[in-house]
Amino acid sequence: MSGADWLSYSLQDFVMFGPQVFLRLFVRINQDLWPWQLLAVVIAIVIPVLILRQGRAARRLAVGLLALAWIVSGYGFLVGYFGPIYWPAAWFGWAFVAQGVLLAAAVFSGGVHDSRLAVERFALLWLLAVCGLPWLAMADSGQWEAAGLFGVAPGATAAAGALALALMSRAWRWLYLPLLVMWSLFSAAILWVLQAWWLLVAPVATLSLIGAGLWLNPRPARSLD
Amino acid sequence: MADWFSRRQFLITAGLAGLALKSPALFANTTGSTALSPIMRRIPGTDESIPAIGMGTWITFNVGGDEQLIAQRTEVLKTFFGLGGTVVDGSPMYGSAADVMGEALNALDGRDRIFAATKIWTGDQSETRAEAGRSSRRWGVDRFDLLQVHNLLGWQGHLETLKQMKSEGNVRYIGITTSHGRRHREFAQIMEREPLDFVQLTYNVLDREVEDRLLPLAQERGIGVIVNRPFQGGSLFRRFQSEPLPDWAGEAGVGNWAEFFLKYIISHPAVSCAIPATSKVDHMKENMGAMYGLLPDADQRQRMADYVRSL
Repeated sequence: MSGADWLSYSLQDFVMFGPQVFLRLFVRINQDLWPWQLLAVVIAIVIPVLILRQGRAARRLAVGLLALAWIVSGYGFLVGYFGPIYWPAAWFGWAFVAQGVLLAAAVFSGGVHDSRLAVERFALLWLLAVCGLPWLAMADSGQWEAAGLFGVAPGATAAAGALALALMSRAWRWLYLPLLVMWSLFSAAILWVLQAWWLLVAPVATLSLIGAGLWLNPRPARSLD
Repeated sequence: MADWFSRRQFLITAGLAGLALKSPALFANTTGSTALSPIMRRIPGTDESIPAIGMGTWITFNVGGDEQLIAQRTEVLKTFFGLGGTVVDGSPMYGSAADVMGEALNALDGRDRIFAATKIWTGDQSETRAEAGRSSRRWGVDRFDLLQVHNLLGWQGHLETLKQMKSEGNVRYIGITTSHGRRHREFAQIMEREPLDFVQLTYNVLDREVEDRLLPLAQERGIGVIVNRPFQGGSLFRRFQSEPLPDWAGEAGVGNWAEFFLKYIISHPAVSCAIPATSKVDHMKENMGAMYGLLPDADQRQRMADYVRSL
């Protein structure tokens, strides 16, 4: 194919589904999961509580729960619901699963540091993400069943999950970062084509929270104990 | 498919008669004595005709496993059949659209009403038969009426296999596709030397490049033409729907913008069929309205193009 042919393609040519179908994914997964997504809400609240405790075990447990959220939202939403209408989403779903496995490995392999950090700021940003972002799909769809919850929907999971950059030691941070950036760009492109303007806040929030996570990560390291 | 055509014609006629009794307003914008006769186009080199308005499935039928939306799309297909449509076009590229079409055809028991067209979309030129087989299982059809090489992807190998499949009776017609005006030079070269039954290309009241070369070539070579993106992906409505139709629209058999855009296309003598896609029953009714009544003549077609350019 010539360069001129490639130039004739627009972003729209690569998105093969409409906004109605996409927003219905949130409704469908919430209907199918009910009432198990309440567990995801509890986990979303428990994670900052664990971080506020400034303890080694509590921090590892928090990261472990976050790993679970990546796996569930990747395999559930992206592979199970989004993948059938858009195969690149299934690939991202498996990448989300791998991201969860990476976090779990970090928990058991010293990838979560023990240094003190500004836990109040971490908790505030976390709560802003997990409490604010679920409303976006509802705003775009006009349906309360479309809540994009942390641990269920990939947008809120990735955005809050970006804050884990504050908890990870250097090498693990750089392994964890690429998917956050790629997902933000990928989802922003899709949401732009779908003109899902409210939901576009999610990738913007993810990119902002990447910066926040790196900023919160303490250096030089100071031990918790 | 020995009785395929006569049964199809019977079903169309019966469906239209019932619809006309229940919804006379649908036909109120047509004029003359042809109000209930769908505009048909003969497939070049055959005695078979197809309705001039078909249905595309890009985006609209890709709804995954959403039962609510599958039921809605089934209603769209039911309306299409009810108003005399038969030609449905898909592609393995369109995500779950083939599976949804299969479910809709099951629900409507519609396989004897459809002229099923899909595409071969793989760069692996040894996969032609395998991909056609996968598509036929997803649609639930024994064989496709038309198999086309999607956007010329691996066309050399695929076309050779498609010619064999046609000679074996595993497909009735074969063709190639392009869209958005891409690769027209190579497209014309293939049309000039390969025994194609159909080509599929983009043509609408704004994208008229094919009028210069590809449409005359199709007429000269006896190749049927299926037109994709008749509404330019919906942008024609976004641009012009708020504008008034010209005063003389009724003289050209046009009662709304959908008919304006579609009748411009199907009134070209080279065109066999336009395949607009929609997810809404109301829009399907509007689209199918273009398959009835008068068509614009050459002078009116020129005025249509000039009018749109003037807006």
